[in-house]
Amino acid sequence: MEILRNFPCFSLILSMCASIISSALNGKWARRLNIFVISAIGVMSACTLYFTFVTNQCYIYKMGRFSAPWGNEIRFGNLEAAMALFFSVIMLLSILGGRKHLFVEVDPFKENLYYVLINLLMSSLLALIYTNDLFTAYVFVEINTISACGLIMIRENGHTLEAATRYMLMSLIGSGLLLFGLCILYDITGHLLMSNIKEQVLILAQTGQYHIPLVVAIIFMGVGLAIKSALFPFHSWLPDSYGYSTASSAAILSSLVSKGYIFLLIKIFYRVIGFEVIAESRLFNVLFVFGLCGMIFGSLSAIRENDIRRMIAFSSVAQIGYIYMGFGLGTEAGMIASIFHIFSHAATKSMLFIAAVGLTDASGKSKKFIDLTGAGYRNVIAGATFTVGSLSMVGVPLFSGFISKILFAQASVSVGVSKMLPTLIVLAISTILNAIYFMKTVVRIYTPVKSDYPSISWKQDVSYAVVCICFIICNVLLGMCSEPIVDLIRSGLAMFA
Amino acid sequence: MNEVMLLIIVLFPFAAGVLIPLLPFKNRRWMMIYIETVVVINSILVWLLLFNRPDGAFTLLKFTGNLSVTFHLDGLACIFAGLVSALWPLATLYSFEYMKHEEHEKIFFMFYTMTLGVTLGIATSANILSMYFFYELLTLVTTPLVLHTLTREAVLASRTYLYYSLGGAAFAFIGMIFIIVYGSTTDFVYGGVLDLANYTGNVNLLLFIYVLAFMGFGVKAAICPFCSWLPKAGVAPTPVTALLHAVAVVKSGAFAIMRLTYYCFGTEFLKGTWAQYTVMSITIFTIVFGCSMAVRERHLKRRLAYSTISNLSYILFGVTIMTPLGLVGALTHMICHAVMKICSFFCAGAVMYKTGRSYVYELDGFGRKMPKTFGIFTISAFALMGVPGLCGFISKFNLAKAAVESENVLAYVGIGALLISAILTAIYMLTIVIRAFFPKQGFDYNSIRDVEDPNWVMLLPLSLFVVGMVILGLHPQPLIELFTNVANGLF
Amino acid sequence: MSESVSLLLAILFPVLAGTALLVVRQKGERKNILAYVGVVLGITGVLVINALTTKETEIVLFELMEHVPIVLKLDGFGKLFLAIVSIVWILAGCFSFTYMKHEKNEKRYFGFYLVTFGVLIGLGCAGNLITMYAVYEFMTLVSFPLVIHNQSKEAVMAGLKYLFYSFFGAYMALFGLFFLCRYTTTLTFTAGGTLNMELAAGHETLLLVAACLMLVGFGVKAGMFPLHAWLPTAHPVAPAPASAALSGIIVKAGVLAIVRVIFYLFGADFIRGTWVQYLFLTLALITVFMGSMLAYREKVLKKRLAYSTVSQLSYILFGIALLNPVGLTGSMLHMIAHAFIKCALFLCAGAIIFQTGITNVDDLKGIGKKMPLTIWCFTIVSLGLIGIPPTGGFISKWYLATGALDSGIAGFQYAGPIILLISALLTAGYLLPVTIKGFFPGDDFDYDKLEKCEPGKWMTVPLVILAVLSVVIGMFPNGLLSYIQTVAAGLM
Repeated sequence: MEILRNFPCFSLILSMCASIISSALNGKWARRLNIFVISAIGVMSACTLYFTFVTNQCYIYKMGRFSAPWGNEIRFGNLEAAMALFFSVIMLLSILGGRKHLFVEVDPFKENLYYVLINLLMSSLLALIYTNDLFTAYVFVEINTISACGLIMIRENGHTLEAATRYMLMSLIGSGLLLFGLCILYDITGHLLMSNIKEQVLILAQTGQYHIPLVVAIIFMGVGLAIKSALFPFHSWLPDSYGYSTASSAAILSSLVSKGYIFLLIKIFYRVIGFEVIAESRLFNVLFVFGLCGMIFGSLSAIRENDIRRMIAFSSVAQIGYIYMGFGLGTEAGMIASIFHIFSHAATKSMLFIAAVGLTDASGKSKKFIDLTGAGYRNVIAGATFTVGSLSMVGVPLFSGFISKILFAQASVSVGVSKMLPTLIVLAISTILNAIYFMKTVVRIYTPVKSDYPSISWKQDVSYAVVCICFIICNVLLGMCSEPIVDLIRSGLAMFA
Repeated sequence: MNEVMLLIIVLFPFAAGVLIPLLPFKNRRWMMIYIETVVVINSILVWLLLFNRPDGAFTLLKFTGNLSVTFHLDGLACIFAGLVSALWPLATLYSFEYMKHEEHEKIFFMFYTMTLGVTLGIATSANILSMYFFYELLTLVTTPLVLHTLTREAVLASRTYLYYSLGGAAFAFIGMIFIIVYGSTTDFVYGGVLDLANYTGNVNLLLFIYVLAFMGFGVKAAICPFCSWLPKAGVAPTPVTALLHAVAVVKSGAFAIMRLTYYCFGTEFLKGTWAQYTVMSITIFTIVFGCSMAVRERHLKRRLAYSTISNLSYILFGVTIMTPLGLVGALTHMICHAVMKICSFFCAGAVMYKTGRSYVYELDGFGRKMPKTFGIFTISAFALMGVPGLCGFISKFNLAKAAVESENVLAYVGIGALLISAILTAIYMLTIVIRAFFPKQGFDYNSIRDVEDPNWVMLLPLSLFVVGMVILGLHPQPLIELFTNVANGLF
Repeated sequence: MSESVSLLLAILFPVLAGTALLVVRQKGERKNILAYVGVVLGITGVLVINALTTKETEIVLFELMEHVPIVLKLDGFGKLFLAIVSIVWILAGCFSFTYMKHEKNEKRYFGFYLVTFGVLIGLGCAGNLITMYAVYEFMTLVSFPLVIHNQSKEAVMAGLKYLFYSFFGAYMALFGLFFLCRYTTTLTFTAGGTLNMELAAGHETLLLVAACLMLVGFGVKAGMFPLHAWLPTAHPVAPAPASAALSGIIVKAGVLAIVRVIFYLFGADFIRGTWVQYLFLTLALITVFMGSMLAYREKVLKKRLAYSTVSQLSYILFGIALLNPVGLTGSMLHMIAHAFIKCALFLCAGAIIFQTGITNVDDLKGIGKKMPLTIWCFTIVSLGLIGIPPTGGFISKWYLATGALDSGIAGFQYAGPIILLISALLTAGYLLPVTIKGFFPGDDFDYDKLEKCEPGKWMTVPLVILAVLSVVIGMFPNGLLSYIQTVAAGLM
């Protein structure tokens, strides 16, 4: 059992090493290595989760047994392990689902580079999840940014270059702000380790010292991460980079990268500053307002969109709005809802991207709606997957989206009227907007026309079909067996404190 | 054991429906036999269950916390389930004949049969979450039926239908959350489950939430600002318009509102508040609005659809009176309207099927060529108008009686609306009848030589509906006693 | 038991016989149809006489719902109604044997004619409000085909107008019915009213509004202002015997209903002295005057007669609205007199149309020379309608005027008789020119072209009978009068 404690660290190192090794391999082997590594990480995370779940406590793992300030710490509890497991599963499915496109869209000589980036990304995500050190977190945020940039750019056409530049720019602003905040925090507390900072902040908050710098630090970090996770109105980089990059990239970026930052933000709330202090700083109210705006405007932009990929991308803006809205409620229930929505949205959004690829394949690679007419009949499995994803997004019972909706609503009911009413009404309106653009698409792909495009049966690409089915199962599982997951999240949050 | 039966009546048609496109039928005939058998068996099961009601509940699924999908058969559920399962076999029989000329029959019957299961699911839901669950599912399984003809019009209609229904559910969702959080239990209990001791906030807020939820569920019941989907959905084949958009789907909306009002929020809490006046005003307005639109409409099925809008609000008006008598009136009209409207729709369908005519002004002189169909149509028109001796009068009488007894001035206005609607109904229904039986002087009957009555498969359900209308109109007492028991929470 | 059988037989026999005529598909010979109709009318007449001899008992047929029974009950007033209906209906039916020769779809006409007969008998026998309402609705529906019989565009439009006005009125009445359900002890017609005073206390305004709506609603059938417009449109377009029956009888159904509502449910005491009574009186007087004026200005004979009906019906309503026994006696008398007279007038108009095709009053010069018997009948009944002794119209108007003077209602006490008088003058103005021109066509009339065209026996005999009847009730009113006075006194 004890060896299980080392698994988080192992998985981190494994993925970093794999990225280095991949650079020396050719595309085919790099891919195999990558799949192996991610699967291994998944298995290890599962073991870790099992371990923390059984023992029901969290562990701090000191690298090389050096304690701070020299050593670096990893900390893991239920939530971290679950997150790592979930990320690796989604990552695996996304890569497998978009595999065929990689061959086409990425220069064969650069294929191994793609896997380098993927591994790098995975390691940075794991680090964001596990680290107990604020500065380490910053370092991996940067690594994450760079690898994400690479993932966008690797398709090498005009759109992606522009998108990547934009992404880079915005991300750097975000991480710059994060760095500022971090520096201020270091300045006033003298620590970089999360648990130590928290103790100091608590004292500062009680004595009222450095009140303004503390608030500024909180705002810098919050806004920085918000920019990076594409909270409205900082989402301008998102549609292009999700819309034009290769399918796997889009799926990974939308479902994992932004979620990594959000998870870091949660950690900052709970582990660095302390929930009460944040709540006093009114940052939640700001996030709440922007979250609500995001929910509406993201969907409105999606309705106007005439490109299926960009539409899904805009939908992400709305969904991220949901998550921030959940934070904004400033209660534990809201936080649980947000974290559940991280899972739910990650599973659904990657699924939609992968399904969209299948549909566009069956429509002569065109992403325009007019060409997609009837695509649901030409590629049955993709059509079904897309439908399930859409239903989940709209919040139809049985699927994951419904549970997050119900959790959000329940959370909102227990806070004051000033937040409850806007939440409930915006939730309803946003559901309608979601229904408008997703159902419009579903109806369209099931409107038969005489089409020249050939049908694609599932036999032609078995792995794609399997991935799709896995996505559907994953979604339905989240939707039907939500109780243990919510319990897990609750216990995980308890371990944060 | 009996509790499991609750699951079976929901799942059996659902599963049997899914199997339709997969089974290798030798020809159309076998498919018909298969479907009719499934539907009839299910109806028999339902009726058996109604007479030996299981007391317990059956839980199918558990979501987080105390949320679960559970079935239970209480009085209200009995009525709705009984209604649906009585009408379904007849409608199915009718649709065999009607769908002969249409394509994609298998897909059609797949969803048609699945809808039966889902509707029974709504009827037998034991708590608000289950009801919401089946409510959403109902939207999904019925959308393909609206889409069926795949014309541009149908696509647009199905989109509108989806947006409206899902949007409505989104608002109903808010109400559901409140019941889940502030209810003493999530199950339906007659008289309401709201735990006001637990609720610290503003009472007006709770009322506001009720209004929101009412409007949300009201979308399916086509209340006024949200009714435009119903006439549009008339592009669907007639069996769908008749059974789903006059009975199953729209009545589900009304049924949900009954649950919401009498079994969740509770009439004690709502009665006499501004919320009651608001929702009642909406229904009164819809009653008049629907009829007026029907008078203007010249497309036969759309006219009937507008009439449905108005008649559904009769039911809702009964609900918003918020007394047991009001519920009796609402339930009576639910049953009576189902029979009347399905009958008139089927007549319209028979006309479209046999002659392809679908506008009112094309029906000159049909009465002589299709005497049976139009005779039946005339009877249903009389029933809708509320001519005594037919079921429409009984329900109108009960609604008005409830309104008078409630001594609520707005309800008096509602009676006025009912009567204005009755005169408008006379206008839009009788103009059709008169056209058909008394065409203009010198009308050339040779121009409609091709018109004739449909065969027995279509006429049988129609005649049974007529018998139903007359029986309900002359001897409704046992049924009304049952409703009274249900409405007083005794059954 | 025997009562219920005899009442039900009288109601159901013509209904079923008519339905049979409608449903049977094969085209019978004209003679056979007429024989059938004649026999049915005869048997119905016998059945009605049989029903008239029964005792007044309440017969509950079945319970529609709890506390909502379907009741038959033939009381004094009902018997009166039944008698008028049968006489007029049978005579007009005889008239149509010849008249309908020049119309199509005879079978349908006679079918509905018989059904309507049965329904009207049912209306007279209805024992409570629900039953009466039901029969009332059926009456509208089954008389509708009579109105639009010739299916010209004009007739169909008029028919629709008739239908929708009638339903509008019926639904207004239904509104009141719902309230009566709650605030009365029983809906069964009971002389003196059945209001449950305990429950009604505090809801007087509501009940008065309901009463007002019921009056106006049932008043639609009786052609009362402001909802009278259907009458002059619908009556003239029907075939003449149908117009005669409609104008003579169907409009009386409205009167019957109003009497039932006021005297048998609300009770005269409840209405007396309230704004409802004043409103009712005002409306009746307005209609009396307006109807006469319009009739005076109208040139088409049948339309003129229809306007006359509007006016005369409100005489009856005025008498009812006075709410005293004398006025009510006048009303009932006028009801009888007007039924015979108006039926005869329409039949005359029908005979003229049938023989000469003339519809316009101005073209009737010399008609008296062509068909003297018809125009003599016309003249006699005209005098009756104007109210010249010794005809029936004189007695009824006498009682109406006395009733008004007796009532002591400020304003109406004198205004009523004056308006009645003016209206009588106008009546003379619009009816007598027909006679005068008919018999004295003037010097320039070309006697050479004149040829006798007296209609056949089936047409003249009913006319003569009606004319004689209208005079007889004026000359020997005593038996009738005492009967009516008993009935009227019982209602106060």
